[in-house]
Amino acid sequence: MHFGGATFSVNEGEFVVILGPSGAGKSTILNLLGGMDKPSSGEIIVGGEDISKYTDNQLTNYRAENIGFIFQFYNILPTLTVLENVQIVNDIVKKPKDAREVLKEVGLLKHESKFPNQLSGGEQQRVSIARAIAKDPILLLCDEPTGALDSKTGVEVLKLLKKQCDANEGANTVIIVTHNSLIAEIADRVIRVKNGKVESNEINKSPKKIEEVEW
Amino acid sequence: MARNLIKVKSGAWLDEFYAKENNLKVGDSIKFKYDTLELEEEIAGIINVPDHLYDVKDASELLPNRQKYGFVYVSSNEIPEKYIKEMVMKKAGITDENIFELAFPNFEYEKYIPYNYLMVDVKENVDVNKVKDEIEPLDSCLAIIDIEDTPSYSMYQGEIDEGKGYVGIFSGLFIFIAMLSVVTTMTRVIKRQRVQIGVLKALGFSNFKISLHYIGYGFFVSFVASICGMLLGRYFLGEVFINMEMKYFEVPNGKAILNLGCYAVAVLTVVLTSLITYFTCRKELKRSPAETLRLELPKVKKGSLNITTKGIFKKMSFASKWNFRDVVRNKIRTFTAIVGTAGSCMLVVCALGMLDSMNYFIKLQFEELYNFDYKLSLKEDITNEEIAELENIYGTNTSKTLGIEIKDENGERKSNNAFVYDAGNMVRFQNDKAQFIDISNDSGIYVTYKFAELNGYKLGDKVKWHIYGDNKYYETEIVGFNKDPQNQNMTMTKAFYNSLGLEYIPDTIYTSYDLSGSESIQNVETVQDITTLKNSITEMLSMMKTMIVIIIVVAALLGVIIIYNMGVLSYSEKQYQFSTLKVLGFSDKKIKRIFTMQNNWITILSIILGLPVGNFLTDWLFKVCIDDEYDFGVHINLITFVISAVGTFVISYLTSKLLARKIKNIDMVSSLKSNE
Repeated sequence: MHFGGATFSVNEGEFVVILGPSGAGKSTILNLLGGMDKPSSGEIIVGGEDISKYTDNQLTNYRAENIGFIFQFYNILPTLTVLENVQIVNDIVKKPKDAREVLKEVGLLKHESKFPNQLSGGEQQRVSIARAIAKDPILLLCDEPTGALDSKTGVEVLKLLKKQCDANEGANTVIIVTHNSLIAEIADRVIRVKNGKVESNEINKSPKKIEEVEW
Repeated sequence: MARNLIKVKSGAWLDEFYAKENNLKVGDSIKFKYDTLELEEEIAGIINVPDHLYDVKDASELLPNRQKYGFVYVSSNEIPEKYIKEMVMKKAGITDENIFELAFPNFEYEKYIPYNYLMVDVKENVDVNKVKDEIEPLDSCLAIIDIEDTPSYSMYQGEIDEGKGYVGIFSGLFIFIAMLSVVTTMTRVIKRQRVQIGVLKALGFSNFKISLHYIGYGFFVSFVASICGMLLGRYFLGEVFINMEMKYFEVPNGKAILNLGCYAVAVLTVVLTSLITYFTCRKELKRSPAETLRLELPKVKKGSLNITTKGIFKKMSFASKWNFRDVVRNKIRTFTAIVGTAGSCMLVVCALGMLDSMNYFIKLQFEELYNFDYKLSLKEDITNEEIAELENIYGTNTSKTLGIEIKDENGERKSNNAFVYDAGNMVRFQNDKAQFIDISNDSGIYVTYKFAELNGYKLGDKVKWHIYGDNKYYETEIVGFNKDPQNQNMTMTKAFYNSLGLEYIPDTIYTSYDLSGSESIQNVETVQDITTLKNSITEMLSMMKTMIVIIIVVAALLGVIIIYNMGVLSYSEKQYQFSTLKVLGFSDKKIKRIFTMQNNWITILSIILGLPVGNFLTDWLFKVCIDDEYDFGVHINLITFVISAVGTFVISYLTSKLLARKIKNIDMVSSLKSNE
């Protein structure tokens, strides 16, 4: 994806939604922000540091320490139990959250010994959220997190994401990439992209509560 | 007939191999000596004779020295009458010509030309033993030897039998491991093609058409490979092996040929490979196009891994748990990897183990059992006084070897030899626990363990035998056993031999007297130096080494192919999970460690299995393939096990390291995308 002058900024602690149709470049933005991809030109400043200049090793550390990822298809490891899927971050993060505590937060503690294939889609996505927040990341990047879920489960997932954003005295930033414009209604900031360009970057002056949105 | 044919020709017929080595041709003249008769003959022809297929000077040589030793056939009319007359006079004790004329009026010398062999062909429906019973009492008969017991026949047949044994075992093993590598390679190839298969299916190609394409691939590759294999087998490996064999035998135009079995194996390889390809792609074709187009994800059966969440598994690290469950989920893949790696390790143990065992045999024979420096074989007509003279100089450690025939309860006869022992500490004996034993019981015979096993003898049993040239049978009791690696026979003390009413005239003296400078000793036929004896066996081993190198190289190669294929399969299945780990922030180094861990486990387990099985296989090979004359046990040095284990591990480790390099290049974005 080529971005011609796609400049935008996001403040710490914001719940951001990036909106756009398929092929607009939403996921590319997420990949660049998450240090999964490198831009051919330009800068990506996160917390005052230009991560576009990072080496592969620096990017690995950046992902480990700062970023939490949530994917549409969960990407949890099928041969690890729920608890192990969360505990996995203990291997890479210096101060991880207690895995059981996090599972309690997402309401999955009673399923801790189950394998992913024994869970529903929503439960699997909650495992993925638990794994992401166990790292206690400053930036949570979510790629169509509700895309594979029914609306009721989707709401549950969004609540968890919002909760994560409000935690840590509101210092955590959550960026959601989606084509579902309804989600934009609950966001602090909405960025619209089209054809690899940022069309608008607006602050939502009166974000709705999740319950207020008609899903 | 033969006698008349030869008689009409003059000149000599010379051994082809000797002629070649010495650059002699028809028409050249050669000088040779028989007893006291010196002859100079023109070479009338160059010949090969089956009786001289295996042609060595004496027991001191194992490998024929064709430059120094050969055979020649001469017409009887080349032997002068004078020589025959003198021979007859000497035998009759006549010194005066006049007396001879009176004793032998009208002397026809041709009738007295000595012949020392008579070939008897027994018709198929006649009992051989009965014929032997008829011939045996004749004064002129010293010994009856079955054709199977003649050196040429037994050596050649021995090699054929040994070869057959090796062919069965090694070909079977190699084909098995090769097929394993075909299975894994084809699975890998098809897996790599899954997107193409998905596209073709989505485009509307029928499963039949797609599978035909892949079967064609398997067929073509294996067809070309089989032809290459046959050509390499015939012109390279076959030549190497046949040339090794031909160093021992005088076979005119000895060369490797491809027999029907080779073609059958080639066809089998092509058929098997095509079938394997078909079954591998059928598995992939059964999936829906959409599923095929997606990145392969590991499937977990519900509840199948539950057991791995309890007990000691809880204490395992994340990497261990993950790999352990991967093994549990991929039982067939793991099993194939273990069989392939263990098989390769086993072949290396076996190849090196054979060498170790042969070296052990040399050490046992020439350092433990033979404790002398020189062996003097005495002339046949030596007198007691002359023996005493030699004993004065070289010591009184002597022995006598008798050609004997053993007759069992059913009247079956078998040629063998008996060793009459009076050699003190110069020749030693061991039991089957490699402990030295004394051969000191003067009331019976000792037999080797293998001899007893082959004939079903137990301690206290009686053995009936007679010495060739003497029709008197003896029944002697077995009073003990000894282990002999290269001669399965009976041994008795001089005292017991004398007690049978036989006079002990030694035919061999063993000595540690330094004979390095002396060329010949009076009344001694040959002087054998223990180093020379040892060298001739060591030379035989150097040929074995070539075979061992080939086995090891092929085993390692097949092992690498299997490990590589299994690694690729395992990697492609985990690629998506690795990219997830990468996204989470796992470093490449950590992911590589997780990936190589499983392979290391499999390799260690394979080594644990491969080492003892290799040991067992070597032992079995020695029991099955080696001629009955030999009794080799398996003696594998610890270092061989270490080399095999370390070698297998290093090769496997390097292969998985090589594969792990792919992790660095995982594109997180596209890997995760392809799952959508």
